[in-house]
Amino acid sequence: MFRVLCVPRPESLTGIVGWGVYIPRQRVKADEIASLWGFEKTLPKALWIEEKAVASVDEDTVTMGWYAAKVAIERGNVDPELIGAVFVGTESKPYAVKPSATIIADALGISKKKLSTDMEFACRAGGEGIRLAIALVASGTIKYGLAIGSDTAQASPGDVLELTASSGAAAYLIGPAEESVAQFEGVVTYVTDTPDFWRREGSKYPTHGEIFTGEPAYFHHIMSAVKMLFDELGLAPSDFDYAVFHQPNGKFPLQVGKKLGFPKEKILPGIVTPWIGNTYNGSALIGLAKVLEQAKPGDRILVATFGSGAGSDAFSIVVRDGIGERVGRGPKVEDLLKRKKYVSYAQYAKSRRLYIRNIG
Amino acid sequence: MEVSEVYVINSALIKIDRHFNKGYKELANEVVSEVISKSGIESIDLVVVSNMLSDCILDQLDISTILMQNLGMTKVRTLRVETGESSGLAALEAAWMAIKSGAAENVLVIGVEKVTEYPTYKINKVYGKVLDYEVEFIRNITPPDYAALVMKAYLKKYGLKREDLIMWPVKMHDNACRNAYAQLSFGITPEKVLTSMVISDPIHLLDTFPLGDGAAALLLTSGKAVSNVAAEPVKVVYVDSAVSAQFHLREDLTRLPATAVLASRLKEKFGDKVFTEAAIELHDSYSIYAYIILEELGLAERGKAYEIVSELEFVNVSGGLKARGHPFGATGVYQVAELHKLVTEGFAGRKFDGKYAIAHSMSGPDYNARVALLQKLA
Amino acid sequence: MKYSIPKFWRRKEGYYQIILTKCRECGKVAFFTYVRCPYCGSSNVELVKSCGRGVVEEFTISYNRVEEGEEYLPKIIAIVRLNEGVRVVGELVDIDLSEVKEGVEVEAVLRRFSSDDPHGLIYYGLKFAPVIKGA
Ligand SMILES: [Zn+2]
Repeated sequence: MFRVLCVPRPESLTGIVGWGVYIPRQRVKADEIASLWGFEKTLPKALWIEEKAVASVDEDTVTMGWYAAKVAIERGNVDPELIGAVFVGTESKPYAVKPSATIIADALGISKKKLSTDMEFACRAGGEGIRLAIALVASGTIKYGLAIGSDTAQASPGDVLELTASSGAAAYLIGPAEESVAQFEGVVTYVTDTPDFWRREGSKYPTHGEIFTGEPAYFHHIMSAVKMLFDELGLAPSDFDYAVFHQPNGKFPLQVGKKLGFPKEKILPGIVTPWIGNTYNGSALIGLAKVLEQAKPGDRILVATFGSGAGSDAFSIVVRDGIGERVGRGPKVEDLLKRKKYVSYAQYAKSRRLYIRNIG
Repeated sequence: MEVSEVYVINSALIKIDRHFNKGYKELANEVVSEVISKSGIESIDLVVVSNMLSDCILDQLDISTILMQNLGMTKVRTLRVETGESSGLAALEAAWMAIKSGAAENVLVIGVEKVTEYPTYKINKVYGKVLDYEVEFIRNITPPDYAALVMKAYLKKYGLKREDLIMWPVKMHDNACRNAYAQLSFGITPEKVLTSMVISDPIHLLDTFPLGDGAAALLLTSGKAVSNVAAEPVKVVYVDSAVSAQFHLREDLTRLPATAVLASRLKEKFGDKVFTEAAIELHDSYSIYAYIILEELGLAERGKAYEIVSELEFVNVSGGLKARGHPFGATGVYQVAELHKLVTEGFAGRKFDGKYAIAHSMSGPDYNARVALLQKLA
Repeated sequence: MKYSIPKFWRRKEGYYQIILTKCRECGKVAFFTYVRCPYCGSSNVELVKSCGRGVVEEFTISYNRVEEGEEYLPKIIAIVRLNEGVRVVGELVDIDLSEVKEGVEVEAVLRRFSSDDPHGLIYYGLKFAPVIKGA
């Protein structure tokens, strides 16, 4: 069902060679957060958020990104010395200045001859990292590129955002299409200046426009990017087997999918937020991993990221032979979803350092 | 060349306590004044100061120099010795070698440690530096964690229950009740050991030492001078030390390798009965180590040390690190001062008339071990 | 600044990865990067990477409060027998205190050893965690 083109799109020269996900073990129930802060009890259900993943006190964007990237490299069975780029998309850098990417790369024994940077675009920097890796591989600049989305998302205690803001990571090893198990068919990005959510320098927690984050931000950007992709590739929702969207909660991806003409059945396989929360840069990318782990060769997957500020990347990905074998080389999203331990709000608050302590 | 003999002619110690109103200078002054007065020694050639944590706790380097300046002893040779928790015996070792070699005749050994200048969690941090900082401490491993792992390995190897190893602290507290210088001079019941706070499971608070300040001093002299000054000279026959492999490199955690080396060297030199004929002060920083040290010294069969605890008459008469206390760098000096008194004027309500007195000290999980063999001249 | 920057930096390979010192003289292998064989003192050694997998042989649950380490308590310190046969002692995370036992299969995971808050470095290094199903 490929569209016949005179010149192949450069992204079609590349694909996903390996992927990995990390979800921290701790979960806190959304009902507990809602009840603590006096939200009406039907709110979590309205947003479709049941529980969220909480990174431990010794975990952060670097450690979670490291695990996801380690699995991605193991899945790809690639010599780390051949990886020419490491990008970390995050909005929760452990260091405001000092790259997370170099720590992860060194810890994984990745080549010193590489491009390496942390990228920030709210929740979609990881998606842009994939686009950059695609471009570098397609141009022949590098053989493999690693794009990581990792966050310990912050939310001001008591903010509605706290019901969902969670921790997790996903990593994608991008390489030549012929070595991949999922080929990029087309990629487009749509960005504008839309101030729906931000965090000022020095602020501990982000601020958002609440209802303004919906229509003019999330829905407009994702739908614009996806429609652009449809136009360029000459595809329609019926051509796709799965659709994965950024998931600030469980409700939005179903709504945006419906507006675009996708039936619920194509969206549900990639939904993870109701059980782990919004992992920000991990969100759509963990959803994609979950879909890859159940897809069959020939399946076409739509992925649309979203980052406040605002923008969306839309990817069309076609699954290739060998996917099943590569799934088995590492822990699956399903395994990580099952690996959980419920903690109290107090334990969550300790883990995420919401308390003020005397230090130093 | 004739080798000099070495004698302890006087010793002094203060009660180990939370001496909040005194600094290390006051504590040291008390024991120095006492050990020099009535000693008959006119001039001191060398002062060896033992201290483990002055850099960390007192913000003081070169503590021996500063101490001499404050004690009005500026013309004397002085040096500080630090070998972790065994620093006190290392100071004796240095003094012993100096006199043996003929480089010094009269040597003053001071052990002093001001531990209570900071809260426990800060002291726990600096104490942890006796381990390899780059390999162990930075990876959040601390000394009681190792003691706990040793205790678990010991229980497993010999098929014992945790309750089998509760009599050591009870015995130490009982001994300390008769020692006026002990920090914890009160009795405890066996039940109390296991109901006390867990530090690193299965090590409880009552398996380990309290934090306290202390100072002790020894006056040593050569054989040439001894006949003029002491009624009952006690000979420092031998001092020895060894280092053992790091914890993770040990396959058998129920052994203390450096202590084992010292035990066999001492037996080789002074006969197999050297430990059985001696009053002993040993390094029970954690009670599990006491049991294993007893076995390494040949005082108990392997895995059976707990059976003989009640029979030990002249082992840790002071109450040991457990109850007498463990002012780190001063502890080894305390042990020797206690043994010196035990064989001369008597100590903690007892007097020992046997052949030898032995101090055993170590740092961390036996990272280094030291022994000093004393003998009262007939 | 609580820790020397170069001191941590030069050893980071040994914290980020499990490196073993293999002695060409006596044949023994030891955890960590030693300049000489800690068993025989030979300088004829090579550094090799461990696979980072092993089994818990012994452990302790510790409440020992150490300055700047309070957040991490209680902690589990475990003796792990690596698949290479070498013993290493390290922290065990992501396991309930009631679930820790001998024989648990573990893998090395990158975590924070400690953090020089609020302005200093974050010290990353490997701890151990139960192997995640499928890994
Ligand atoms: Zn060797």
